[in-house]
Amino acid sequence: MKELLVFILIVSPFMFAVLCSIIKSDKIRSFVVLAMGIILSVSSLLLITKVPFSFSPKSVFTIKVNHIIEVSDFLLLFLMLFFAFKYKSILIRIFVIFQMVFVSYFDFFLKQNHSDYPTIYCDHLSLIMVLIISIIGSLICFQAVPYMKEHEHHLNIHPAISKQRGFFFVMVLFLGAMNGLALSNDMMFFYFFFEVTTICSFLLIGHDQTEVAIKNSIRALWMNSLGGCAFIVAIVWIYSQIGTLDIQEIIRTYGNAKYYVLPLALICLAGFTKSAQFPFQSWLLGAMVAPTPVSALLHSSTMVKVGVYIVLRFSPVFKGIFLSQCVALCGAFAFLAGAALAVGQSNGKKVLAYSTISNLGLILACAGINTPAAHTAAILLIIFHAVTKALLFMCVGTIEQHIASRDIEDMRGLYAEMPITALITVMGVITMIMPPFGLLLGKWMAMEAAARNLLVILMVSLGSALTVMYWARWAGTLMSDPFAGKFKLESQPILTWIPLLSLCSLASVLSFLAPLVYTKMIVPDLNSNFIPFDIHRGIFENSYGQFPVVPLCLIAILGFGVAVWAVKSAASSRIVPPYLSGAQTAEPGTFTGPMNQLVKSEARNYYLSRIFGEKRLTTCINLAAGVWLILMVGGTL
Amino acid sequence: MIGIKKFISKMRTKSPWLLHFDCGSCNGCDIEVLACLTPVYDVERFGIINVGNPMHADILLVTGTVNHRNKVVLINLFNQMPDPKIVVAIGACGLSGGIFRDAYNVVGGVDKVIPVDVYVPGCPAKPEAIIDGVVAGLSKL
Amino acid sequence: MITDLVLAIFCIVFVPVLGGFISGIDRIITARFQSRVGPPLLQPFYDVIKLFGKEKVVVNVWQAFCAYCYIAAASISIVMFFFKSDLLLILFVQAVGAIFLVVGALSSTSPFSQVGAHRELLQILSYEPLLVLVVVGMYLEVDSFKIWKIYEWNEPLILKLPFLFIVLGYALTIKLRKSPFDLSTSHHAHQELVKGVLTDYSGPFLGLIEIAHWYETVLVLGLCSLFWATNWIGGFILVAITYILEIIIDNVSARMTWRWMLGYVWAMGITLSVVNMVWLSLV
Repeated sequence: MKELLVFILIVSPFMFAVLCSIIKSDKIRSFVVLAMGIILSVSSLLLITKVPFSFSPKSVFTIKVNHIIEVSDFLLLFLMLFFAFKYKSILIRIFVIFQMVFVSYFDFFLKQNHSDYPTIYCDHLSLIMVLIISIIGSLICFQAVPYMKEHEHHLNIHPAISKQRGFFFVMVLFLGAMNGLALSNDMMFFYFFFEVTTICSFLLIGHDQTEVAIKNSIRALWMNSLGGCAFIVAIVWIYSQIGTLDIQEIIRTYGNAKYYVLPLALICLAGFTKSAQFPFQSWLLGAMVAPTPVSALLHSSTMVKVGVYIVLRFSPVFKGIFLSQCVALCGAFAFLAGAALAVGQSNGKKVLAYSTISNLGLILACAGINTPAAHTAAILLIIFHAVTKALLFMCVGTIEQHIASRDIEDMRGLYAEMPITALITVMGVITMIMPPFGLLLGKWMAMEAAARNLLVILMVSLGSALTVMYWARWAGTLMSDPFAGKFKLESQPILTWIPLLSLCSLASVLSFLAPLVYTKMIVPDLNSNFIPFDIHRGIFENSYGQFPVVPLCLIAILGFGVAVWAVKSAASSRIVPPYLSGAQTAEPGTFTGPMNQLVKSEARNYYLSRIFGEKRLTTCINLAAGVWLILMVGGTL
Repeated sequence: MIGIKKFISKMRTKSPWLLHFDCGSCNGCDIEVLACLTPVYDVERFGIINVGNPMHADILLVTGTVNHRNKVVLINLFNQMPDPKIVVAIGACGLSGGIFRDAYNVVGGVDKVIPVDVYVPGCPAKPEAIIDGVVAGLSKL
Repeated sequence: MITDLVLAIFCIVFVPVLGGFISGIDRIITARFQSRVGPPLLQPFYDVIKLFGKEKVVVNVWQAFCAYCYIAAASISIVMFFFKSDLLLILFVQAVGAIFLVVGALSSTSPFSQVGAHRELLQILSYEPLLVLVVVGMYLEVDSFKIWKIYEWNEPLILKLPFLFIVLGYALTIKLRKSPFDLSTSHHAHQELVKGVLTDYSGPFLGLIEIAHWYETVLVLGLCSLFWATNWIGGFILVAITYILEIIIDNVSARMTWRWMLGYVWAMGITLSVVNMVWLSLV
């Protein structure tokens, strides 16, 4: 049974991807995507009852799995090399050839026929990743169907030369690769899937084939290949020391003083590039040129989580050493810097991108703090960030197609135009920053866990205040309009509504169920006798803190009810124009200027660009982060 | 219910918030209005605050003549004030247009445009008279 | 369970009364500083009751939503304080209210509201990290974020955390809307932005916001009192002295710009916190 499930989760997306690339009819392809999404979601849910498990699949379609991976590794690297020559990128050439040398050295000289170990391993952490990928990923693929139709229509691409087949091929394939990554227990499998996600990201960023898109996709490729280089070096190094590729075995035995720490630092470095931590953030920002479903799937909820996932996976190994400290500091710094840069942005997608970097930084900081409570925080943050950020990206995508802009200033008064989407976006923002929702629960745990670490808590507290600033500003802007009676609800394709509404409800319901998620999914994984939080009556409690999730949720529901009643009752009150020194006219938002001309009153948001502007901060932040990283890697020698 | 209403209307007389609008005054009456806020008169003793915002105000103090240009502003401000509200016209100009009443651009006194509850005469009106006018208006709230 | 409920209702009802009296005393003392007599002690109550009797006028119905959310969050945070719950969480719940106040103001297109709202956001940006650092400092001393642990501690925290008390003072000044930090709106009738963040709230909704502000006043003064939690007389004296100092600062200083506020408050706040925490870890 579990073999079948794993097969469905990893291999079937590859088959569905091929189907997507063959089928010419849009309708049938949509159906295939839908079917795949449902199958993946159901199998991932069925997997819950099976964990933890491990096994070693011998063959797929009578071919040995090891051989498939070995051959595909080279195919993939040659494909990258092809792109390196096609786009004349020297950096990619260097990194790819470097990886080829190491992979061949490993495959032909170093590798021995070693004893059996499970190549597939699934504990609760992998399960959480699989659930996120399969459920949220599928929802994003659903939304991509109407989105891409509209997208090509908008770009005046004739249906005959539509590139949707290629698009869905990569999107669907990516889901399989991600599932493979989460479930594999063999370093080489992991490395292979890591590279697949890199190339998927490259292809999808460059999907529109505009000049900017190509430039940004090349940057993404070389930065992620750098991560790949670090990873393969780490694999070879670790293998030459302890002679196994079994990740669980490595975690069990490697935490010994007699081994070098540098490979671990390299793994962290690979994670940092994948998670777009400073100074590698520029690829993620560039990735925002891609169609929005891509940003939602790869660049916020799943692929960038790979980075934090590997760091979290290996964190027990470097517990209590200098590297752990470094990871915590780098993460906290990224949290602060990402939030600061997000404050200076008015481009909605860029705000989301920086906010993603910032939140990933917080998760890394938790991994670096390396206590059971911090791990709990990290996992909660991974779950809730994936849900909420995917939701927000989809909202921005829907809004962007409607108003043809992704600038926050252009979303002023969106409530009058797209009431439901605007409300869902505001709900997303609320779940992002407010108690009792899951992200804040995670942040609270992170802060309490970090309290003994002066620098970390300092950066986290500053970053947290900045986070509040840019989210609150956005939510307010969406609602900013004179309210005049009833609005017409906007109409959207059903495949847009389903993901939006289900993610929105998921974000809120899952917060209510956070205690359950904790006891069922996180505690079994901590594999220590020390349980960071006791749960009673839905209250998280330990010796130094207390977070009553369920009571607060109940109060929040009550308060929400009262507030909605207030809106209803306020609708009967007299509606007046906003205060404009008495000079307002019948035309909303205007006043009588000189010569009796109507002048539009305008107020723009504060973006504080002289303090938090991208131009001003990026160089300093990259420099600082670069120094941190060098310290991190160098300090382990 | 009647008890609550009575209670609230008593509170109204204890907390009158003012909006002062200079509707084309020579600043004579304005100075006198501001004088009420100084320690000499200290109208905050009676809970009176000059809020400068129609959304918060209970009493509209208008000084000066109304002309064609600013009558719109006066009406706008008046409409933005939540009920119950009273209007106090101050000074000769506010009452009737004063010496400007025949000018080509002048509409006349405040009551040409919005309903006035209390008239405070004087050129300029004395602070004591203004306070007296406000207090007289409170009984209407 | 029943006693919990009674306590919750008691503090929801009692705290605004306390907050109103504090506000009344504040206004009288301020008036005396300016050689005026000042309003009666009950003036804040007169104002709020009057506001509830006014006609409902809104610019945008979201204002009503936000005003209710603000008071809900403020009252929940104070109830949690009286239940001696987790300090960090109380700060987060309190921040919810502050955010809704801003969102409500942003829902009006009036430039006065908008600018006021952004200044309010900048104020939140300035004081929020400071409050977190103060709470973290308390944790470092008593090894818990829970308030009841602080009450069980056997010596006043101010002896160990003197600089953090000053940091709390900065946050307090901003939170109480006192000069030089009363950028977004102020209690006095001399705001250059009409009434800043409150410009377009009116009638009962303004009344709700006023009450919510009383809750918050009591909450931040409660935070102050934790610095002398060993006996209530000490706590009371500490709070009284702090509040009088706040009023003096309010009266002797001019309103400054947000740039200055952000730079000054962060620089001073962070420096003092770090010095205090390092000192705490050394002794």
